[in-house]
Amino acid sequence: MKTLLTNYGMILVLIALCALFSCLTIKEQTPTGTAAAEQLRQRVEAACKKDDIILIVGAARKESGTLAEAVAPELVAAGFANARTVVGEPRDLRVALDELQATGQSPAAIVTAGDVMKWRVLERISQTHPAFAKAQVLVPESYRWPDFLKRSNLLAIVDRIVVIAVIAIGMTMVIITAGIDLSVGSLIALSAVVGTMVMKQMGGLQAGPGVVVVGFLAGTLACGLVGGLGGCIVAQFRVPPFITTLGIMMMARGLAFMITGGFSVYQVPKALAWLGQGRSLAIPNTVLLLIVLYVGAHVFMAHTRLGRYIYAVGGNEQAALLSGVPVKAVITFVYMISGLAAGLGGCIQASQLNTGTPNMGVMFELYVIAAVVVGGTSLAGGSGRILGTLIGAFIISVIQNGMNLLGMESYTQQVVLGAVILGAVLLDKVRSGKQVTAFFARRQQLRNP
Amino acid sequence: MKTRTWIAVVCGVCLSTLMVSCSKKQPPEETGTTPEPAPPAATEAKGKIGVTCMDLTNPFFKLISNVMTEEAAKVGYQVVSLDGNNDPAKQNSQLADFAAQGFDAVFLNPVDSKAAGEGVKKLNAAGIPVFTFDVQVTDDEAKDMVTSHLGSDNFQGGQLAGESMMKATNDTGKIAVIGYPEVTSCILRVDGFKDQLKKANSKLEIVTELSGKGNRNDGYTVATDILQAHPDIVGIFAINDPSGLGAHAAVVKAGKTEQITIVAFDASPAGKQAVFEKKLYDSPQQFPRKMAQGTVAAFIKHLEGETIEKKIFIPCSHYYYETSVDDESRLAEQW
Repeated sequence: MKTLLTNYGMILVLIALCALFSCLTIKEQTPTGTAAAEQLRQRVEAACKKDDIILIVGAARKESGTLAEAVAPELVAAGFANARTVVGEPRDLRVALDELQATGQSPAAIVTAGDVMKWRVLERISQTHPAFAKAQVLVPESYRWPDFLKRSNLLAIVDRIVVIAVIAIGMTMVIITAGIDLSVGSLIALSAVVGTMVMKQMGGLQAGPGVVVVGFLAGTLACGLVGGLGGCIVAQFRVPPFITTLGIMMMARGLAFMITGGFSVYQVPKALAWLGQGRSLAIPNTVLLLIVLYVGAHVFMAHTRLGRYIYAVGGNEQAALLSGVPVKAVITFVYMISGLAAGLGGCIQASQLNTGTPNMGVMFELYVIAAVVVGGTSLAGGSGRILGTLIGAFIISVIQNGMNLLGMESYTQQVVLGAVILGAVLLDKVRSGKQVTAFFARRQQLRNP
Repeated sequence: MKTRTWIAVVCGVCLSTLMVSCSKKQPPEETGTTPEPAPPAATEAKGKIGVTCMDLTNPFFKLISNVMTEEAAKVGYQVVSLDGNNDPAKQNSQLADFAAQGFDAVFLNPVDSKAAGEGVKKLNAAGIPVFTFDVQVTDDEAKDMVTSHLGSDNFQGGQLAGESMMKATNDTGKIAVIGYPEVTSCILRVDGFKDQLKKANSKLEIVTELSGKGNRNDGYTVATDILQAHPDIVGIFAINDPSGLGAHAAVVKAGKTEQITIVAFDASPAGKQAVFEKKLYDSPQQFPRKMAQGTVAAFIKHLEGETIEKKIFIPCSHYYYETSVDDESRLAEQW
């Protein structure tokens, strides 16, 4: 436990953030289960006679709609023959009310829940349909539960971070070698555009899943190639990675615009959506993909020779070289992996949006770097953990999601996100202050033996 | 020691977030006449409406977002306005957040007409009505899920511009068009302009049609080139104020202000001022305020169960020197 906390201390920040947002987003929720349906049946039995007209109203595809569909058979079974169900939009309720009025009947009770109560049709019923004003409105007891912890929201958190988290794997490796890769944001666009263009050329809307795979491969490999080229330049010619990848960043973005002529590519097969939006074994593919990639990357970095080489190169390049580590090959390799990861990220993004757009992924490189650094990887190289990066990515995603749930203004959001990233890293540094001092002392020694 | 530092981390993060989130819950508009209760306003609000625009740093959208906030507050709804940052992916995760939290409605100004379709599908699956404004969603599946669209009638605005151009030039001579063919609304403006000339059997001849990319710099450059190739033109139609003002600068430089009439579009504050200074002859006016009010009104109608038109277009109107003289909004409004 203690080692877990020292290694992945940021997980506490993540948990604290989740707890905070859970507390702040607690809200009345509409129950949908059988208990609520049962409760409503009892209330109707208490309030109405068997031959009364009862309107059961729910909003389409919302909790109240599910509840309405659960209550209706209960009431019919209990002998209320004149129960009518309206599940839809406010317009549908209005039409139902108008029809009732036309036949001169009036409902004894309106059974409903949640957001239907906010429909102005109901609020204004005494003005539009004065005869119905005395109808009782029966609602179930609501319960309190945070919006943040709803299943759909937790999935939204994964969905928003999956692209950044995937790319952060490559970025972690690059940063561990004391490098940086600024091109990943543009490579997202390049990969998405190349991939969708290939799909468009190979049949577009009518094409099958095979074409999608070809498109993804084309996009990912193109980016891997670009990343590998950048790595070569860094390793062979000692061009600083910042400049090399800055150049690639501009070229890749420009290429993406050139390939599409500035427009988005939407003539894509249906199967494209599978990766970013589909499910396998009832688990979203994005979640599965994250698990597989992170477990793989963790094992690779912690338990293989090449993985240890990456740490060695970042820790002390000279020493690594002297100990027989193929430094140039390792550096080229990490930039290639970073390019491949960015390419895969672009495919996921294209799949989530069902489109390839040349303006995708602007500024993503900075979010990715933030995720890696928040996850505890040192920009000075030589140390860092893959799983830490995952935690870092989730911290960023949770903050963004939480702020949207709280309805914080866009401008403020940027300030808060920046402050939290900075604060988290700052405190991590204070914690590991001793290690940092030791690191610089070591460097000093190397320079002045 | 370690534990203590960690407690400090957690507390620090919590505090900073809390502070900001609380400060946000102040009423956004200090109207004075209707004092809103401060922090509990969020919980007491009847519901929340999500708004996301393509670019909140553009004053046009900032104004729309502000007016929507005011209008929605009148009926008890809180508006959460987010900036799409011209990034379709960012906008889509914003739409996903709106869907996850079960907002009561979403007002959407898509960054990308096609990509926004995925977000609209998510909202639709969560039973949340979507209202688009200014730009439509064109994804085949998603466009039918949009409850209502409200935008300017750019074609009709272009016709107005054509009318003015004919009036100002006595309907004789050569003219140039500075367009922006990457943007649908601007294409419609030019189409409307040409349609008007054709309908009226105009003797005006369009000698060239180039892109000014909707900004002052490119408007200036392209107008300079036009004046080189066609020094005898009598008029220029530019699809918005910045490119129109860029063209004006080029005309001034060539010393042809007497010879050439410029008609622009939008009547943004800068454009209104230019009309007042007689730099532009006309700038058919768009109504961002009406667009915002109309969108909120459509949502209310939806809640009332009224039938809503699928697409509503607000007609543009002329903005001449005579209009500008008495127009207080020329100086008062900021967008």
